[in-house]
Amino acid sequence: MKDVDGQNPSAPSDPISAWRLRAIFLLFSAGFIYVAVGLGYRQLIQNDALNDQSENQSRRVVIRPPSRGKIFDRNGYVLVDNRVRWSVKADLLALQPEFRKEYLDLLNKEKARFPDRRPDYDQLQQTARLNVLNAWLTKIWFVIDSTNQKAAKGSAKVKSTPNLHPEERMVHPDALRKHLNERRALKFPLILDLAFPNSGHAVTPEEGNRAVARFIEQFPVHGPITLEADMVRSYPNGKLAAHVLGYVRDSDILKGQLDDVVESEFVNFQKLGYTGKKGADGIEATYNEVLSGRSGWELWTKTSSGYNKDLLKFSAPIQGANVALSLDTKIQKAAEEALAKIVDSQGKPLPAAAVMLDVNTGEILALASQPSFDPNEMADRVTQIYFDQVNADGGWLNRATQGLYAPGSTFKLITATAGLRANKIDWDDILDCGPSYMVGGRAFPEHDPVGYGQVDLEKMLAVSCNVWNYQVGLRTGPESLAKEARRFGLDAPLLRKPSEHDNHSTTELPNPATRMVIPDRAYKQRVAGEPWTDGDTANTSIGQGYLLTTPLHMACLIASIARGETRTTPSIIHDPGRDGRHAGAEPIGLTTPQLNALREGMVRCVEEGTAKIVRIPGLPYAAKTGTSEYFKKGEKAHLAWIVGYAPADNPVVAFCVLVEGQLDTSTWGGKTAGPVARDMILSWRSAADEK
Amino acid sequence: MDNNRQGAKASYVALVFFIGLWLILPSAVRRFNREAFAEFQAPALHLVGKGRDLARYWELKSRSPEELVAASRDLARINAALELKLHSLDDARKENIRLREMLRYPQSTEFVTVVARVSIRETSSWWQRIVIRKGRSDGIRPGCPVVFGDRVIGRVSTVHLTTSEVDLVTSPGFRCTAFLEGDDQYHVVHVSGRAGLSLSAPRAVVSIIPLEYNPPAGQIAKVMTTGLGGVFPSGLTLGTLEAGVQSTAEKHMQTGALTPAKELNFIQEVSVLIPKYPTAGEILLTPAGKPEEFR
Repeated sequence: MKDVDGQNPSAPSDPISAWRLRAIFLLFSAGFIYVAVGLGYRQLIQNDALNDQSENQSRRVVIRPPSRGKIFDRNGYVLVDNRVRWSVKADLLALQPEFRKEYLDLLNKEKARFPDRRPDYDQLQQTARLNVLNAWLTKIWFVIDSTNQKAAKGSAKVKSTPNLHPEERMVHPDALRKHLNERRALKFPLILDLAFPNSGHAVTPEEGNRAVARFIEQFPVHGPITLEADMVRSYPNGKLAAHVLGYVRDSDILKGQLDDVVESEFVNFQKLGYTGKKGADGIEATYNEVLSGRSGWELWTKTSSGYNKDLLKFSAPIQGANVALSLDTKIQKAAEEALAKIVDSQGKPLPAAAVMLDVNTGEILALASQPSFDPNEMADRVTQIYFDQVNADGGWLNRATQGLYAPGSTFKLITATAGLRANKIDWDDILDCGPSYMVGGRAFPEHDPVGYGQVDLEKMLAVSCNVWNYQVGLRTGPESLAKEARRFGLDAPLLRKPSEHDNHSTTELPNPATRMVIPDRAYKQRVAGEPWTDGDTANTSIGQGYLLTTPLHMACLIASIARGETRTTPSIIHDPGRDGRHAGAEPIGLTTPQLNALREGMVRCVEEGTAKIVRIPGLPYAAKTGTSEYFKKGEKAHLAWIVGYAPADNPVVAFCVLVEGQLDTSTWGGKTAGPVARDMILSWRSAADEK
Repeated sequence: MDNNRQGAKASYVALVFFIGLWLILPSAVRRFNREAFAEFQAPALHLVGKGRDLARYWELKSRSPEELVAASRDLARINAALELKLHSLDDARKENIRLREMLRYPQSTEFVTVVARVSIRETSSWWQRIVIRKGRSDGIRPGCPVVFGDRVIGRVSTVHLTTSEVDLVTSPGFRCTAFLEGDDQYHVVHVSGRAGLSLSAPRAVVSIIPLEYNPPAGQIAKVMTTGLGGVFPSGLTLGTLEAGVQSTAEKHMQTGALTPAKELNFIQEVSVLIPKYPTAGEILLTPAGKPEEFR
């Protein structure tokens, strides 16, 4: 068919149209070629890189912290353990349909109520999540409170768990928001530590078991609410040896370990770590590297919303190594119980410390400091209230290793040794000791107002005669006194770790005192800008003045005297192969009669002297008491000391007890500190007899 | 030919239509349909069970009179022994009631027992599920424990009008708490079923066994319910703990395998223990967001 012009109407009327068609064809061809080449490039050349990227984006590695190693005493008794913590958790991914349904309900209600207002979608989503989670939580509590179900049919009286306020049984909005922001991939904890007595959910272990059992049996295995177990630190003896054991706190150190623990092929994946724990004080801190173990990991697929979906692979964490301490739980318990009996006029325990050492090895059998704290309170997360309370009581200070005190009359052992070694006095020399002694125009008093008359070395130690020491101290001189004190290591840092141990801490316990003071002429000139006087020498000779040392140093001094040496290296770590050699130790440098007199004087101190109130019939031991003065709030108060060793004839243990007296409390070495020493010795004897 | 093609197309269209319809139907309607199908299926299940009973009847009828006499004599002896036991149990029960009254303790009978025949047990889920011939009309509720004598068989998972589905001890959907025989400390352990092949050995796992627990040498330790969970009465046997308990990867606990009671393989009749209070199954079926319904 042709038109009036004789041309075919279907043929292109214009040559430009054909050109246009070719141009379009070329354009499309170029487009297809571009797509095909691009596809080929991505499929053939970039394939591996894109696969990696895809895997990296769709998978995630979750780091699981390991359990810490246990801590035992020297007899294998567990001092620090790990316990299973049962927590009820919500799988937020599985609850998505419920969240969505609740959100739509809320949205419809909101629109019906305020048709002209734009709803706050974020707030509605948050409210929907809270509503769903709280509904589940209510069901969980209903199931866990065992009597509720029976009560529903009236067969038993309703009794809900009394420990928790109703508001504590609800999901806290801030906690949920924080979880969604930081750990959306992990399950949301609805109830933490369901079974632990006194955690607010259970009162007794039986109630805890019942709560877990009710959940296990009554909730579906594959539901959105699950019961999960993890391990938390447990201190089965509560406050016992808290200053030695220390406590743990949350740690993000795991983040630094991520690249170390996962296999190299997962290194570029997104990583998420559960909060780990690290030692914050005591052995937990100083042996953190040993106790920590190695984290494990889990490889998960994740959804586009960031939730974990399927577990693909995992590697279990490896528990940290155990640590055996030299402590003897029975002696430690006896020391702490005895200390707790020393109270002020308000009935509040006085600040105090007690140490007992093995004379031969230097291993610490007991090391107590009062007031103390319960590390269980810090095992999960310490409350500010508890922290402040311990702080106000001064409970964080380990008085045995960190407290610096004037040693008082216990220093007379050094004065006597210095005098004997300098040949200024001999063991059987007798000095006339009146009620006071004039030094530099000032009368230095005896603590007995009538004086002690004729006093030799043994009697001096038995009655703790001040005037004898003034005389000997002045004869010996301040430099010799200081030299002798230093020879016994009263200003030497203690508890140094052998070099092969944990290199994160150089001491066995955190921050032992390093600022002990053994005064001499140069010291006074330096700190007071004044010259040394005879009065200073007299004060130093009875353990007063500028002298400062710790109870642990005094326990080491007494252990050294018991062995006839000058140094004892204490250790809190139990080593059955310890050879009894002590760094820097040398013979005491006294003749046998002199050393015997020194020891006999300490025995007489217990039998008939200042410590006779704590004599133990049938178990003679040696001791020296001390009552020194210190200033508390500008007024004088007393420090009560007792040091010694037992048994008298074959020393096995050395001890030191210190009590900080208060302004309104009369505190004396034998009377106040003595009973603690006696209880420790009896406990040691009882433990030794059992073996 | 074209008609055939059109007919095939129409079938596909109808299929797609019904699938689409099913997807958009309200959940209540879908639930009703499922329930209706279960009830529709119930007579068939009953028939299968009855047929099996009938086969057993004819099998017994074919026995010789001598065999039947011998069986009857054995049965009479067992009956006599059981009569004695029943008497002593009755005395113990009366004594228990008397003592509870005297001490003003609440009576302990918290379950009503319903006996049910096993209606069907599919080969594909042999160690996971059985269907019994009692249902909602008999008072059975989701979550009720199912026992045979003093042995735990499982628990009710789904209830229909005249039938119920029971998750067996070896089903992955089953778990409960237990005590181990010989454990003086009465540590609570967990028992959970594990999916296994139909013809393989039944599987269940005992976990959270404390490290200090050592099974008595040369003896098989029974695994018994604790009664703490509020579902199973205490002291029922779940099975025995197989030798070869192993520490977990972190060495905190041990796990072991559970051998269920041998009756689990050929169980024909069970008892359903219906608690006098609402079961967790009922509580969990209440809609989320309406907790006040059971408060």
